[in-house]
Amino acid sequence: MRAPAARRHWAIVLVAGVGLALAAAPGTAQEAACPVPEGFAAFETPLPKTAKALATGAEVVIVTLGGASSLGSAAGGAAFSWPARLDAALEARFPAARVEVVNLGLPRQTARAAADRLAREVLPLKPTLVIWETGTMEAVRGTGVDDFRDTVQGGIDDLQAAGIEVVLVNPQFSRDADVVIPFAPYLGALREIADANELPVFHRYGLMRYWAESGVLDLRAKDAEKRRKLAARLYDCLGRALADFLVRP
Amino acid sequence: MTEGGRDLRLDFFRGLALFSIFVDHVPDNIVAQFTLQSVMFADAAEVFILISGYTAGMVYGRAMARQGFLIAALRVGHRAWQLYVAHVFLFAIFMATMAYTVDALNKSLYAEEFQAADFLSEPGVAVVKALTLQFQPAYMDILPLYIVLLAAFPFVLAGFRVRPRVVLAVSLALWLAVQLDPRIALPAYPGPDRLWYFNPFGWQALFFVGAWLGWSGTRGGVAWLHHRWLLRVAAGFALAVFVIRFSWTLHGLYSPIPALVSGKPLWPFLSKGDLGLLRFASVLAGALLVARFIPPRAGFLTGRVAWPFVLCGRHSLHIFCLGILLSVLGHLVLAEFFGGMVMQIAISAVGIAIMVAVAALMEWFTAAQAAARGRLPEQAPVAGGES
Repeated sequence: MRAPAARRHWAIVLVAGVGLALAAAPGTAQEAACPVPEGFAAFETPLPKTAKALATGAEVVIVTLGGASSLGSAAGGAAFSWPARLDAALEARFPAARVEVVNLGLPRQTARAAADRLAREVLPLKPTLVIWETGTMEAVRGTGVDDFRDTVQGGIDDLQAAGIEVVLVNPQFSRDADVVIPFAPYLGALREIADANELPVFHRYGLMRYWAESGVLDLRAKDAEKRRKLAARLYDCLGRALADFLVRP
Repeated sequence: MTEGGRDLRLDFFRGLALFSIFVDHVPDNIVAQFTLQSVMFADAAEVFILISGYTAGMVYGRAMARQGFLIAALRVGHRAWQLYVAHVFLFAIFMATMAYTVDALNKSLYAEEFQAADFLSEPGVAVVKALTLQFQPAYMDILPLYIVLLAAFPFVLAGFRVRPRVVLAVSLALWLAVQLDPRIALPAYPGPDRLWYFNPFGWQALFFVGAWLGWSGTRGGVAWLHHRWLLRVAAGFALAVFVIRFSWTLHGLYSPIPALVSGKPLWPFLSKGDLGLLRFASVLAGALLVARFIPPRAGFLTGRVAWPFVLCGRHSLHIFCLGILLSVLGHLVLAEFFGGMVMQIAISAVGIAIMVAVAALMEWFTAAQAAARGRLPEQAPVAGGES
């Protein structure tokens, strides 16, 4: 994914004209899209129904289920959350489509809690697609991996039986968390579930790791204001990357 | 036990398991794709517990025969105590890591979920629960299992003397019950639905089957284990498992390589917590093949390549704890500098080198002390055997 040429030119002019200090000033950071590594999601199962509905301008309801990171509070509010940024990115790309992203995220929502809401709160919305971000609370709490896998599998069965497409979103990457919270088993379980059900995983963990490693995002920003901006930029980048991910050919 | 009579296979594969445990515990480590878990349904944990059971059956079985039940039981108790101390040491490492990272995590995008970790809101309770083996954070799950298995072992040992087959049947029946009824488990902290990561009621079967094999080995062995059909079944099974599991590994590294056999129908039999049937069978088949095709003092086991494995396997408890400490440090280095695959391989290599160096130092120290006292290292507490 690349930033549109016009925007890049604008950035270059800004850097050249106003100098580096101003380029790093508030406001500009949010504008640039984050680069996605070569081949990211190249082998993930496509989502034909969703892509077709978007392309034909049909009504598309997308439900997102997740935890605190899907609510945007770290960035200052729901408007900055990745589901909202996804909505904006899809609307910009498919002006004719009637996209509605319904964010059913809750702080500290477990896979079990999310699965229990499917029948009553998700199915009645008749979504085309459900984006299910999960695994973080299980890793923090140390829920059994087998239980976690069974729970998510049960939820997917319900959604697929209703003809709904599903994307799994795995936990956030943190430079510091791994050593006290083991994420690997939960990342592995999500991969296995996705393979078994032929549905895609949006590898948020890997993407954030890439951004941290390549210096695109400073995930260790200490200062509160910097952290808020980082969160806004991160959620924006995730929303855009997710929009690209959904409409892969 | 003299040096000449030692079964080097036990040391070698325990050393292999220890390296595996270290490498697997460094997060995002490419080398972890090529440890035991990538070629069999079991991983280092099964190998470690099986060999520990075997060694316990052999060493304490012999002690019981020579010195009586009480001495043997006290030696088991002493060993369980050493493991408990090691567990507390690992908890200290965990707390230190936590102290080091808590501030960063509270200020990260993870803060909301991270603060849901109960040990942060009630650290005092967490300490007590760690001492009662109920709190098992990262890396702290296998020693509690080993401790309770050893604590139960004197009773099993006494049973071996009277009715070994009955003991074995009860052990396997309990394992089967665990597979059928998920309620048979030990509660852990924080509740209410958190359980011991390794369900001791399931895993006891592997330990006690190993113990029975080790105990039988001191009394002439088990004849039917040498049947040709059993070997064929084990070889066929191990080969099938290898092909399937390695295809999953390759598929994970590069998706266009197909995963042979969908994992989904196998999930119920691959439970790590309960020791699912396929994991159990996989490690037993592997052990049978090793026992059959590699003599106890095979040439390569005394050679230079096997030497680091044998050395670490001989001092397993210390090297295990060191491995955990090194994986924590390895993670901190990776988190600080990233560095990709080269860095991951370098960290794995340096870690293993440190483990080998410390094991060599311990070996030398033990031998030097024994020489000073003018006897073989047989009774020296750190000299393997019981590890």
